[in-house]
Formats: sequence, structure tokens, C-alpha cells
Amino acid sequence: MHMDAMKLKKLEKLNQLRLEENEREDILAFFKKAEEDMGIFDSVSTEDVKRMVHVMPMINVIREDVSSQPFTRDQLQAGAPEASDGYWQVPRLVE
Amino acid sequence: MKYETVIGLEVHVELATESKIFCACSAKFGAEQNDHVCPACCGMPGMLPILNKRVVDLGMTAGMMLNCDINRETTFDKKSYYYPDLPCSYQTTQWFAPICVNGAVEIETSKGKKQIRIKQIHMEEDAGKLVHDDWTDTSLVDFNRTSVPLIEIVSQPDISSAEEAIAYLERIRTLLRFARVSDCRWEQGSMRCDVNLSIRPQGSQELGVRTEMKNMNSLSAIARAIDYEISRHIDAVENRAEELVQETRRWDDVKGKSYAMRNKETAGDYRYFPDPNIMPVIIDDEWYDRIKKSLPELPEVKKQRYIEELGLSEYDADQIVQSRAFCDVFEKAYEESRMAKETANWLMSDCMTILNKRQQTTDMLAINGKALGELVKLVAEDKVSRASGKKILAAMFDEDISPLKYAEENGLIMSNDTEGIEKIVREVIEADPKSVSDYKSGKEKALMALFGKCMKQLKGNCSPQVLKEILVDHINRQ
Amino acid sequence: MKLYISELGTAARDIVADDMILTTDMPTCAGSKMLDGYKSLFEAEAVTRLRDAKYSVYGKANTGELGLDLLGETSYYGACADEEGKLTNAVAEIVKAEEARAGLTLEVNGSSARAAALSSLTYIKPTYGTVSRYGTIPAVCSGETVSVTAKGASICREILSALAGHDDKDGTSLPQEKCALLKADAPRDSVKKIAVAKALLASVDDETAVMIGAYVEKARKNGIEVAEIDAEELRLARPAWNILMSAEVCNNVSRYDGVKFGYRSMDSTNIDDLYTNSRTEAFGYLLKSVILFGSDVLSTERYMDVYDKALRIRRVVSDYMNSVLEGADAILLPACSRRSYTEEEVKKNPYIAYDESLYTAPVLITGLPAVVTEGVQIVGKALADNSLLDLAELLERGGER
Repeated sequence: MHMDAMKLKKLEKLNQLRLEENEREDILAFFKKAEEDMGIFDSVSTEDVKRMVHVMPMINVIREDVSSQPFTRDQLQAGAPEASDGYWQVPRLVE
Repeated sequence: MKYETVIGLEVHVELATESKIFCACSAKFGAEQNDHVCPACCGMPGMLPILNKRVVDLGMTAGMMLNCDINRETTFDKKSYYYPDLPCSYQTTQWFAPICVNGAVEIETSKGKKQIRIKQIHMEEDAGKLVHDDWTDTSLVDFNRTSVPLIEIVSQPDISSAEEAIAYLERIRTLLRFARVSDCRWEQGSMRCDVNLSIRPQGSQELGVRTEMKNMNSLSAIARAIDYEISRHIDAVENRAEELVQETRRWDDVKGKSYAMRNKETAGDYRYFPDPNIMPVIIDDEWYDRIKKSLPELPEVKKQRYIEELGLSEYDADQIVQSRAFCDVFEKAYEESRMAKETANWLMSDCMTILNKRQQTTDMLAINGKALGELVKLVAEDKVSRASGKKILAAMFDEDISPLKYAEENGLIMSNDTEGIEKIVREVIEADPKSVSDYKSGKEKALMALFGKCMKQLKGNCSPQVLKEILVDHINRQ
Repeated sequence: MKLYISELGTAARDIVADDMILTTDMPTCAGSKMLDGYKSLFEAEAVTRLRDAKYSVYGKANTGELGLDLLGETSYYGACADEEGKLTNAVAEIVKAEEARAGLTLEVNGSSARAAALSSLTYIKPTYGTVSRYGTIPAVCSGETVSVTAKGASICREILSALAGHDDKDGTSLPQEKCALLKADAPRDSVKKIAVAKALLASVDDETAVMIGAYVEKARKNGIEVAEIDAEELRLARPAWNILMSAEVCNNVSRYDGVKFGYRSMDSTNIDDLYTNSRTEAFGYLLKSVILFGSDVLSTERYMDVYDKALRIRRVVSDYMNSVLEGADAILLPACSRRSYTEEEVKKNPYIAYDESLYTAPVLITGLPAVVTEGVQIVGKALADNSLLDLAELLERGGER
């Protein structure tokens, strides 16, 4: 199988998650199953098939360059876990 | 051993749009923190991205100015990483089909001319800004710049020195400012540059370890950063001072050193994939041609034309073509005045003075060119004095006025009425016989005093040449 | 058993919306601790349209976290189950009890379709792009669709008629002339021939098979031609949908990081702890697995072989279904494989939702309209939503036209 515990730990880090050891086992089992299911793709040649990103084909959905500001900063920060002086606030970053 | 440097630049330029790329928030610089923010650009769920058409216009314009091919079908993709200035934890950008590819610009350095190839230009959204607060040991997040439209111009690794890098950046800046793609202000962050750099023994085809440097806020900082990084690389290779690793580094201009970045976007997998909410953009011939037609004449072509056809000096022509706004006003004004040198003088001295006083850049010149042409004519034809002309010009900066009408309404039309002038001259001479005799005995200054008194009575509305003639004539007749 | 997350307490009780649809007068939590108590600053276009049409949208119903699960069991507010421990679904229970005329849900991964089938309600997942997704919590933007559940096809049609329409605020919204085909009085063809997808019938239990058989029989009696098709191609849909769904969910929920709104783990001293603790504490297990799987299929190492392939498989499935729909007016599929699921078994195996998406993935991955009626699922051509509802209504009435 492509996935293993080491790779899974890297994925957790990349996605800012931390699994319990037993969860990790279950997820690996799910990866295995999902991968086996993908085996069915091998029977389909898709080289000449165009990718389908959008199910309904449309193009050029664009808007004119006009600005508006319907909400205030206070409204947007009403549900902020921490805000100060009109800023969202987080622990200090080291760059 | 001798080394050569291989540099590729990634230049980010904020586009001169009214609104952001995917939401209707204002894209203007300088608002109070988080005043140009909506649910979409602070990461709240439920709003969907709708592409700003002007962004595509300006992306195409940039590509054409930099001799790129335009991808007639261009699409948007999502790039994922966690950082507090990125509210959705993904950036919408172009990965699979960027709007422009295969460009080139010519630069000129002390070593002569050289082509720098451009790999691609893609459209994307900017990130927000972090302010670090030492008092509370926190970082403060401002999303005003989030989703402001950007283009990223990626060069091929054709640059081999700080001098070439600067020439390339200056050239791009001139062209993009000229085409009004962006105001390209380093100090406001509307133009930024990341440097990818490696060294190798001269003549070698193999590439050395490449590092990326961020956070240079001016051309001079970029030059310093490149020179520092070159010597760091050489030192590492020759003296084994340290082991070079492929990494992102942050330039500290105060300390004059680069540091490996500990946090941002390092080593992660960006997991690009096509954005299902944004339909492909197809650029048909009509759209393409409209942008092509809107491109400005290149500054060097204009300069040559100003010199050869309009008879401007090289210096004057060069000064004007530094700014697209100056060119536009100059060309309209010249069309009216048909006096190139005079028109250029008004622009470069008088308009410049007013702009400086208002702390505005040349690109902010927004006066009516035709009106300036009329003003140049009024002064040249002695209908208003030069001093009055300056007053009229100042008024033209405030509103779109007709210089002639303004002069009439404010009594600035010079008097051609010699009888009126003679009457005042006589009165002034009679009232100040001492100055008359002083002048006659050789004191030139006395004439200036009399002249000033006359001019004051005439409220300045008189050609100084005419007044002087009449005044001297009357004194001599006494 | 908590059916409602919140209610307005108004006298009129027409529409209950699920917890994925944003409202300003009631919180919207996506069934997640991450958004517990979250109040949106703006309202879903679907809600606005219903309110403009004088429907009272009076309450928000419990939903599984990000709509990914079997029937809603992963909600932070608890699973809904009856005394015997059988799983139920909040919207379906409310509509069944006639507390609301209709339920408005964001169909993400088939839970609404399954709930309607198990509760013998009628449901329509309209053609993708005909009902605005503006103001819905994004999970799988390329497939999820605002859907309607009600007692009977005629109520579904009435509500859908008010919902359908072009919206400039949704970049995937179809032009008005296309959306207008979903209005109750729009012209349409009637379903004369149904193709039954054999490949997907093989795995259902006896009770479900009998029910499908009875439906087919009723259709035949009403003069509708029924043909069987192998439909092996439809088996491609589940793994492909799982790839696309997981990737999009992974990306869409990356915005929930404890910084701007929603849940923040309080004892974090640096930004990485803040992110990781907040997400680890606030997300449920199924969502975490989907995020990790989705992240993997988008990795540089796997993208071309897995994600890109799934995008192409999507077209293969779409082309196949459209070719079937050239020769028939509708495709009949199961909506799920059995008539009940227990809370106990989803606790043991949270991936039953994945198993059951065998039946819902074909329509979610293609955006084709699907109606669930009398426990079966019928699928039509794009924009043939009313034809499907007409058929459902005809047979629901016992065949009297």
C-alpha cells in the first residue's frame, strides 16, 4: 500500500491535525480500502478523456470592477476568538 | 576559482483595480486596518468567488508589454498552506494554465544589452499583513490586502548580477507603470521581488544549490541582498563555511544579512488543484484585440518622436517619458498649443512644483491636457502674464476649468490699453521724483522700484516688457 | 435526540433548513464543534428566495459534520436515533412529523437522499447550477447541491420552483433561461422509458430489492417501458467521487483554523499549536479521515495518478450516463442498500457512508438531477428535473393521472 504510518503523520502535520494511535490504524485501513477500490480505474483508458472540473460547461463568469463595502470591521470581528484594536490576534509569529 | 551567478526573479505586482480579485471589497491602499474586508476575504464560509474582469484585462496588458504569448484559455487553481495572513488557508492562483507565457525584456547594463526571458505571468490574490506587537507578544492580522489582485512575473534564470537584476526590475516597472497595470510602488508593497539564486564555477552547466530570498523592500535592498547571498554561497563552497541547502531565506536589510525562514510555507506540499468555483476564462479575438489596441506607445519610441518630430531636447523628452501621465498631458497640450518647448517647460517646472507642494507623484498628474495647451498659448501670446498663468494652473489642479474664462472672470487678462498704462506711469513718476532722479543719475535699482509700483497699480495684468518700455520712455522724456 | 439546532418560534412553520445553510437570524454550525454558535453575516440565496416567496424558514435542523456522513450521525450535537437505536435524520423526522412542509438541505454526500428513502419521503437534488449555492457552507463545491425533501413530489416541485434561478453571486449558476426550466409551469417531456441499473442492484438487501421490484412493476402498469442496463460504469463513480470529495473538503475546511472565527483551543502559545489543537479538538473523526485522504490525493506525488485520473473518470461516468439517457428518459438506482442502520454499527464502522455512496456518487459526480421517491432513486438528463418529479407524482398517486 502507498500509505503508511510515517506518511500519515506527515499528512497530519501538513493539515494541522493530531491523531490518536488507534485512529491512525483505522484510517490506514480506510486508505487501503479506498485504494483497492481505485483499482477499477486501471481498466479505463483516460488518456484521451478531458478532465471534468465543472459539471456544467460555462466560460467567462466575470464581474465589472466596482467596489462596495457592505460590512464593518466590528461586524466581521464580532465572532473573533481574539481581536485587538481592529486586528485579529494570534500568538506571536517568528519569521 | 571564478564563479558565475544564476538568478531568477519572481516579481509580484499589485494591479491597479478598484476592487479585489474575487470579491467587491476596495483594493485601494492605505485604509485603516481591516476596513476593506468582507466575509469572503476574511475566510468566512458561504461567499463564492466571482472574477474581476479588469484583472484579466491588466494581466493581458502586462503580458503584451513584456512580449509574452497570451494563453487564450486560462484557469484558476487553489494552493494550500497555513499562515495567519491567508484567511482561507488557500490562495487562489494559476498553476496549470497561467495567462501569459514565453516573454522577454531587453535590459541595458554597463556590459551592454541583454535579453531576459520571462517564463510566465500568472494572476493571483495577495495575502494579508501581520503586525507584530512586542507589548502583548502577539501578532496582529490585517486582511485589507487579502485578495487584492496580483500578477507574478517569473523570469528564466537569465540574470547574472545585481546590476542586471536591477536593470530588469526597472525595465519591468517602467513598462507596467506606463501601461497603467500597476503603480509599482516598492514602499507600499505594490511591487515586490523574490530572488532565486545559485552559483556555479564559470563555464559549468550544472546548477548549484538554489536559495530563495524574500523581504527586500527597495531596489537597493535587492542589490545588497544579492551581493550578500553571492558571497555567502561562494564562502560556503570555497571555505566550507556552511552547508548550502535549498531553502527560503529572509533578508534583514538593517543587519545586512539573510536568515533561513523558520515558519512560512517551508517544505510543505501546496496541493494545487483546479478551483471548481471559477469557470475557465476564454479570451476571444475581440477581447484580445481590444487590449492590444489599448497598449501605449513604448516610452523610448515616444522619446524619439518628441525629439525628432517635436524638436524637444533629449533631456526634456527623457524627463517627460518618465511618466505616462506627463506624456498624456503633454501630447494633448501640444496638440492645442503647437509649442513643444514651452509646453514641456510648463509641465516640468510649473506642474512639477505644484505636484511637489501637494506631495503627489508625477503619475498623479490629472489636469486637462487641452486646457494646459490653451494656457501655454495665452501666456505665449502675452494675453496673461506668466505669474497669472501660474495662478490659473493651480486652479486647473483643483477643477477642470477653461483658462481663458478663468482669466477673464478673475481679471487676469493683460491690458493692451497703452493709454491706461501711460496714465498710471505718469502718476507714479509724479509721485516719486526722487526715484526718477536716482535712476537718471545711474541707480538702476530705482527703476525697479518705479516698475514695481506701476505693476502693483496695474494689478499685474500687463506685459512686463510693455510696461518697462513705456516707463523708460516717460522718464527719458522728462 | 436533538432534531433542531435552533428555531425562531414563529407561528408559520413552512421550511426547516439544515445546518449547512447560512442564516443570519439563527446560527449555522455545519454539525461541527468548530462552528458551534456561528452566526453568519449574510443569508443563503436559497433562504432569501423562499422568504421572498413568503415561506417561513423557521428552524435549523441537526446535520452531520460538513454533511459527509451516512445520515447525520457525526453531528457535534449528537446522532438522531429512535428507541431501538436505529439512526434517523433530523430533517426527515421533522418533515415526516409534518412540523415543516419541506426540508432544505445541502446535499454533500448522499445523506439527504438516504434519509428520504428510509423515511419514504420525496426528495429532489436538482440539476447542478440551477439553485444558488451562495450562502451554503462549502464542502464539495463541484458537486454539492441545495436539495428539497417533502411529503410528496408536488410539494418538492412547488418549493423547487421558488428556489431555481440564476444568481450572479454564484459563479457556477446556470443562465436564467436554463434555470427557468425548473419552474413548476415550464414545458417538459414526460418519462416514457426507464433504464434500471443492474450493476448497482446486486448489492442491496432483500427488502430493498423487493421495494425496487414493486416500483418497477408499478411503472410498467402505468405504461412506462422499463429496460435493464448493466451499468458497470457506474461503479467507477464511488472511488472517483471519494477522491474529488475528500480533496475539496480538505481544502474547504482548511479555513477553520481558530484564527478568525469559530473554535479556538485556548492554551496555545504558538501559532502551530493553535492551529493543530483547535482543529484536532473541534473536528470529528470522519472529517479528519476525509481531510487526510484528500490531502494525500492532491500531493505532488499522487496528483496525476489519482486526482487527475478521477477528474477524467468523472467525464467517463458523465458521458456514460448521458448516453444511457439518450435511449431512456430516466435511470433507476437504489438510494441506499438497506432499510435501516443502527447507531451501534456506525460507531464501529464510520465508513458506512463511503460504502453507501456507491448509489449517490453517480449523480453527485455528474451534477445530474435525482429524485428519491418510494424508496428508489430516479435520475434524469440535466434540467429534466420536472420530468422526474412528474413521474414521481404520478406513481405516488397510484398511477392516476
